[in-house]
Amino acid sequence: MPHLQLVAVTHPLGGIDPKLARAKADGVVDRVIAALTRDPAPPEAASAPVAVTVTAPADIDLFQDFALAEGWSDGMPVLPPTPERVARILGPLAPRGADVIATLAPRRGVATLEAIAANLALAGALPGHLPVVVAAIRALADPRFNLNAIQTTTHPCTPLLIVNGPIAPRLGINAGANALGQGHRANAVIGRAVRLILQNVGGARPGREDRATLGHPGKYSYCLAENEAESPWAPLHVERGFGAAESCVTVCGSEAPHNVNDHGSTSAEALVFALAGTAATTGSNDVYLGGEPLVVLGPEHARTFADSGWSKADVKRVIWERARVRLDRFSPENRERFGVLDPERFRGRLLAEEVALCASPDDLMVIVAGGPGKHSAIIPTFGATRSVTVAIAR
Amino acid sequence: MSRLTLLSPLGTTAGDVKPLARRRGNLRGVRVGILDNSKPNAEVLLARVAELLVERAGAGPVTLWRKPGASRPATVIDEVVAGSDVVLTGSAD
Repeated sequence: MPHLQLVAVTHPLGGIDPKLARAKADGVVDRVIAALTRDPAPPEAASAPVAVTVTAPADIDLFQDFALAEGWSDGMPVLPPTPERVARILGPLAPRGADVIATLAPRRGVATLEAIAANLALAGALPGHLPVVVAAIRALADPRFNLNAIQTTTHPCTPLLIVNGPIAPRLGINAGANALGQGHRANAVIGRAVRLILQNVGGARPGREDRATLGHPGKYSYCLAENEAESPWAPLHVERGFGAAESCVTVCGSEAPHNVNDHGSTSAEALVFALAGTAATTGSNDVYLGGEPLVVLGPEHARTFADSGWSKADVKRVIWERARVRLDRFSPENRERFGVLDPERFRGRLLAEEVALCASPDDLMVIVAGGPGKHSAIIPTFGATRSVTVAIAR
Repeated sequence: MSRLTLLSPLGTTAGDVKPLARRRGNLRGVRVGILDNSKPNAEVLLARVAELLVERAGAGPVTLWRKPGASRPATVIDEVVAGSDVVLTGSAD
């Protein structure tokens, strides 16, 4: 709604004396009255639902400047989305390029197969990556994910893509050593293509609609596969009712990972200390907005739990029981604010009482990923978001 | 300098852009709704704007609704629309 009548109030508003907030109202009220009493200009006509072609410098270095100026790029070099490259990515789906996969907030951008493929072309992705990206876009548009808020918040969150099933090894999506790091094309370009679609089609331009205060490095690309081969338990997609032979992608509105180093513990009972201690923090959205924090267990840590006879549900339950924050660790202002947002858990409680890292043990997600070594990770979320799992078309 | 023809990665936008409501010439007697998104000081700012609309432009009455968090959808939106002629909303940090 670019034609909405907006009156901007100077930042900041939160954390200032209410007298100053009232003074800001005094400073804008004449413009509010004007916006409410003068007829606005009519909206510009919507763009026609056809593929748009543009011309750009053929020189690869000049093309980078062009892509940055057009807002197409994430800052890293991009490849030109020529009709030939886009057609190659679409392959047999080329005749269906106008099919609409989703409408993406906040721009209400129409993610057709062709627009999606153009972003794969920009990202350097391959035809085989298309079904994963398409499934991820379907998942991101699910209302439970709350894409509009994720795209526009000041919080540092971005979709984390977790790929399960046989497509992951087939495409070379890394689930092993350095699974959340660099060096594997499929992880890099699938996650990047999704980010570019959110920026270009969804219209979340950094510093503009994307209001992230800091952001995080996963906003370049944030994609891994679960290490199903080395997990002692059923993988995430099977836990959610899909078949083991199906391939799925799960999207989470995630912060950056925080490491859990534990080289000493040799039993489940011991290992849970470091995991719960790392997960229980005062600055997390999950603690008062009710998200689904993710525990990424390295295979050696997962094996330690399994050797102690713990199921995945046991791991979730005990971390949830132990990952607690005493209310007196929150500031009085935050206790009051969280009491408004989540009265059940924060209002009328004693300071010595504790809250868990999320609303219930079932909200805690656990996957196994990574290679040799005794590290795991806690990945908090935006809070007001639910992860969504979608099957990847064959 | 040679040029390439490219497919725009921006795609198109949903076509149902709606025109805004026609404005009244003045605000006398209009029902003012406040949709507070629960951000700190949102209610303070918006309530003061509403107070000034009443004082300076004869608007009123004023009704307050609150969302349970800025990132939650406004489930009360139909009630807000039915109970207001103009609505003040939108606050960040």
